[in-house]
Amino acid sequence: MIHYMLRRLAIGAMTLVVITWLVYGLARNMPGTPLTVAMGETDPSRKLNPIDLERMKKAYGLDKPWYSAYFLWLGNVVQGDLGRSISRKQPVTTLIGERIGPTLALSAAALALTWAMAVPLGLYASARSGTADERAVSFLLYVLYSFPTFVAALFLQIIFAVWLRGTRWELPLFGMNGDATDATWLARMLDLARHAILPVICQTYVSLAWYSRFIHSTMEEVVRQDFIRTARAKGAGPSRVLFHHAFRNTLIPLVTLLGLSLPGLLGGSVIVEQIFTWPGMGRLFFESIRERDYPTIMGLTLLFSLLTLAGQLLADLLYCVVDPRVSVE
Amino acid sequence: MKPSETIPASHTAIHSRPPPPRGFWGDAWQRFRRQPLAMAAMLFVSLLVTVAIFAPAIAGTKPVLCRYKGRLYTPCLGYFSRQLEPAIFATDRFRGTYPQNLKTKDPASWAIWPLIFQDPYRAVRENEWPGRPANPAKDEGRPNAINLFGTDQYGVDVLAKMVHGTTVALLVGFVSMGLAGTIGIIAGALGGYFGGWVDMLLSRVTEVVMCVPTLVLILALVAFVEKPTIWKTMAIIGATGWTGIARLARGEFLRLRSAEFVLAARASGAGPLRIMLRHILPNALAPVLVPITFGIASAILIESSLSFLGFGPPPPSASWGGVLNDARSNLAMWWLVVFPGTAIFLTVLSYNLIGEGLQSATDPRLRESRK
Repeated sequence: MIHYMLRRLAIGAMTLVVITWLVYGLARNMPGTPLTVAMGETDPSRKLNPIDLERMKKAYGLDKPWYSAYFLWLGNVVQGDLGRSISRKQPVTTLIGERIGPTLALSAAALALTWAMAVPLGLYASARSGTADERAVSFLLYVLYSFPTFVAALFLQIIFAVWLRGTRWELPLFGMNGDATDATWLARMLDLARHAILPVICQTYVSLAWYSRFIHSTMEEVVRQDFIRTARAKGAGPSRVLFHHAFRNTLIPLVTLLGLSLPGLLGGSVIVEQIFTWPGMGRLFFESIRERDYPTIMGLTLLFSLLTLAGQLLADLLYCVVDPRVSVE
Repeated sequence: MKPSETIPASHTAIHSRPPPPRGFWGDAWQRFRRQPLAMAAMLFVSLLVTVAIFAPAIAGTKPVLCRYKGRLYTPCLGYFSRQLEPAIFATDRFRGTYPQNLKTKDPASWAIWPLIFQDPYRAVRENEWPGRPANPAKDEGRPNAINLFGTDQYGVDVLAKMVHGTTVALLVGFVSMGLAGTIGIIAGALGGYFGGWVDMLLSRVTEVVMCVPTLVLILALVAFVEKPTIWKTMAIIGATGWTGIARLARGEFLRLRSAEFVLAARASGAGPLRIMLRHILPNALAPVLVPITFGIASAILIESSLSFLGFGPPPPSASWGGVLNDARSNLAMWWLVVFPGTAIFLTVLSYNLIGEGLQSATDPRLRESRK
């Protein structure tokens, strides 16, 4: 077990180095630097003169070629320092710390909703498998699965923020908080919830469709097995067979899925956060690419890749916990 | 029985034999055909292909065919490539407006016009088509009899944009997944067939690419290429979307390399390249085709989300996602969302349904379980 963990960690560390090296090279070779992009876009007259530019380049370590600058960055990361954002003049860890809360609020709500609805839906579909209503529900979920998030987001915005404007159903178009800063704690929470409804719906529906289809198809495989037939033959009722015998056996792939959803939980959805201008991690990444803010790009890439790797490892480990037949060796 | 009496006995023997067994693909096609949803999706995609091919004849401001100064021209081809537009119209200073210029510069001329006289790249001006008002701009252009799907804030007809954007939507799917399929199959084939350090290396590379979140990599690559064109976007989507295909192909090649027919081919002196291409690949193609079809759907999604986020090719270009991007700044123009949004949705749904149909038509495990 320890041997296995060590090997996985070593491979993971190597993968991380390769990924960050690649993205660092890409980021540093994008046209424009954080200094020129940020100043030149807002006001051409504020463009730096060449002497100042050189001085600032030196100050931010941009005068070195990217491959040697990468090792400087890597050395700092190993010592726990992600560097300072160039365009925002703040440590990257502070920036990420600010953005992690909103993203987590959004994706945790979406994940909880997804599971709360996907399990009953998947079970319902397996219980009524083959009937007309099950087919209708399954097809509807399939349609939902193919519905692009950004189109759904625009539809929802048009309905709730434009057509229903002025009614009690109106929902805010974007942002996380309203103007009222002096309101009570409860009022602020309600305000936050109202802002979160549309983005949460957008994040929920695709994964809901995906998860319930997944549960349904694994259930289909399980129900065909011999022990289900045995259970039925021994007189177990349909609901007991469904919950006690069949569903418990679908937990194995489901647990793997839970591990794999970890990166999405913190990484957030770039598109949803961008459309609803939700101040989360996905939006931060999008902005940092626009601003060519290398330290932030790298910090986020590191975090996202780390989470992906951790999720895979977690999935494999959970797999062994849930299914005693599987061992990591 | 009547006709068989006149036919020699040997002939009847041939006729009464059961029809020759269908091949794997014929068999799969039979099963695919029995799925109404997959067939409907197939029909929709063929419709899109037709629209894409005949786009300049469906919506445009250049004649499909015209007779001018005694010769026949097809100016509508100019929509495919600027060079295909006959040079005479440039020298005669048509400046892209045909109806009036044709009449004034050669009264004997005639022309066959596209079904919808609207341009995907600019607003139609007043009286450009005799007696027709200019396209409404700003947020006035709700759908009407002339602009069936309305116009955007610059007065460009949405339907014309969408008709010409079909080409992009289809090309994105085919080109990027063609690229991803090629990379994935080559990587998977080499790794699965040779094993050893080749496999080790290729598997590691695949894992690394898999571990970078797709959108992170794509956004970084799009920012990296200096002037995004639709072809660069396709290349980027293809270059990042091959990992799943490579894994599947590797598994199939690994499984089939020890099959008896491969041993037979090797015994008869076939080299590794020939074995991989002629013997294993045709047998491994069906399972690999399924993720490619799903990949087409996700490639279309990625391209339209990139255009939507403003990372797409700059205007003038007709892309469904681009129309949606225009809608973001003006949500009251619901027609900028509903029509292209529905088009993207239906196309993605169709490819997903085709993929699903393909899977249940070719996967032997699912086939057996149906019985």
